[in-house]
Amino acid sequence: MEDDQSEANKQSKETQDLAAHKKHTEMLQRLSNMHHSRLQQTAARRSAADSSYPSFETVQSFLSRFSDSKISVEADLQRCRALAASDPDAKPQIKAELDKVSASISDLERLVAETSYFLPPYEKFSFKSKASSNRDHPSPLVKEFDDLVGVNTAPQSKIVVTASPGFRNKQGEILVKTFSPEERDGEFSLNDLDSCDVYLKGRFRALFIHRLNNCHIFAGPVLGSILIEKVNGCSFMLASHQIRIHEAEESDFYLRVRSKPIVEDCKGVRFAPYRMFYEGIEKDLRDSDLEEETGNWAHVHDFRWLRAVQSPNWCVIPDEELVALRDVSDVKGKSFDQD
Amino acid sequence: MGLLSIIRKIKRKEKEMRILMVGLDNSGKTTIVLKINGEDTSIISPTLGFNIKTIKYQKYLLNIWDVGGQKTIRSYWRNYFEQTDGLVWVVDSSDIRRLDDCRMELVNLLKEERLSGASLLVLANKQDIQGALKPTEIAEVLNLSSTDKTRHWRIVGCSAYTGEGLFQGLDWLVQDIASRIYLID
Ligand SMILES: Nc1nc2c(ncn2[C@@H]2O[C@H](COP(=O)(O)OP(=O)(O)OP(=O)(O)O)[C@@H](O)[C@H]2O)c(=O)[nH]1
Ligand SMILES: [Mg+2]
Repeated sequence: MEDDQSEANKQSKETQDLAAHKKHTEMLQRLSNMHHSRLQQTAARRSAADSSYPSFETVQSFLSRFSDSKISVEADLQRCRALAASDPDAKPQIKAELDKVSASISDLERLVAETSYFLPPYEKFSFKSKASSNRDHPSPLVKEFDDLVGVNTAPQSKIVVTASPGFRNKQGEILVKTFSPEERDGEFSLNDLDSCDVYLKGRFRALFIHRLNNCHIFAGPVLGSILIEKVNGCSFMLASHQIRIHEAEESDFYLRVRSKPIVEDCKGVRFAPYRMFYEGIEKDLRDSDLEEETGNWAHVHDFRWLRAVQSPNWCVIPDEELVALRDVSDVKGKSFDQD
Repeated sequence: MGLLSIIRKIKRKEKEMRILMVGLDNSGKTTIVLKINGEDTSIISPTLGFNIKTIKYQKYLLNIWDVGGQKTIRSYWRNYFEQTDGLVWVVDSSDIRRLDDCRMELVNLLKEERLSGASLLVLANKQDIQGALKPTEIAEVLNLSSTDKTRHWRIVGCSAYTGEGLFQGLDWLVQDIASRIYLID
């Protein structure tokens, strides 16, 4: 210290300035490093949030970000108020301030929306113990509906009897449907089938599948989307712009799909590329904008598994288990126009 | 002056409207928003989370929140209710089997106090599909006529595929909101 001091005293004016400048640069450097490491921490925290469900840290950091932002908004408003009271000519300035406040509120809103997927349900936040006490079952609304649906269907089913074209309530049959050009703009349903083989040849606009057991389904291209719910022990050969699979178990899906297929509440489902043929399928695929193999059959999104690591609910079918290309040109069986 | 009323004032100045789009998964919400905005609709994945689009429409700035409708994420809808001026409920008119689910979800949504001031536009989407129910049939199944008397609502048939009906619906919604919140105009 002593030495430093005396040495400093000896320094000329210029060298002092130089030293000050150096110090200043060092400080800037330190600040920038700090900023960087903070950014890195945030990034790390973010990826932690991606790969694991609401970690304590994410919630904690959200709450602190939220309250920091809230405090600053409130302070800004306070200042505007003071300004308005003291200076009647400050209007333009206040307007600019308010615009800024409005922008930070939007940011805050966005932060809440973005983070909401990682945060525990509202009721579980312990802002006040009162709030949670009269709502001790923050169970998702959806569950209640499930229970109610069965009860309330009767008075509504009047109109619903205009059932759409499809195969329903069959067991152990081979079902074949060939779509005529007039039927291409229609939808088709497969409901409550057990141990059936189903062949849908030609193209159409939407496919709904509900409650199948031990069935094999082969379908031509679907221009819109395919919705599959509650299937078990089945195999599917499907091509479509969008494919959603809910509550499927132990089933194989051979898909061609333009967007990423999704699964929700599934177990033991496996995926592979579409391998089907009938005379004219190339044209049907082309006309449905599905001639391209996008590789999306392997990019399955599990809505019950919002983490970076592979979902345990689905996998790719190993090569040695893949079925061969299936030519369904000549299959015959019972054919119904409507059922 | 409370925080909320200040924000409302700002919103009013800029003629901003906040529109919340919800409905069951697969009903066509994202396709509708992209179509309205003139974007490519050929590759759309199911929405995990939400999309926000700011669209200049007539003299208004619409902030459209398109929120995913898959079962897993429906319980998050409530995070988006605050300050909603217009509610768009999208229905897949060809998904007859799930119309009951659809009705239940809508009934529950309309009970929400934070949405009580919002105009309701029901879009009976996918009218281009042959077997789709007509808007009047959808209105009956959803029991819209028994909607609370104070609610401004309308149902419009549309197709996000062809674009038909979309602007008719949006026009009504924007006019209705405007007549409620921008009285002097
Ligand atoms: N035929 C036809 N298909 C449509 C129409 N609108 C949407 N689709 C199709 O329906 C499927 C679902 O559309 P999305 O826009 O992803 O549905 P969403 O409501 O956003 O679904 P979530 O994000 O899961 O809530 C897609 O395959 C669309 O191509 C329409 O008017 N007609
Ligand atoms: Mg969507």
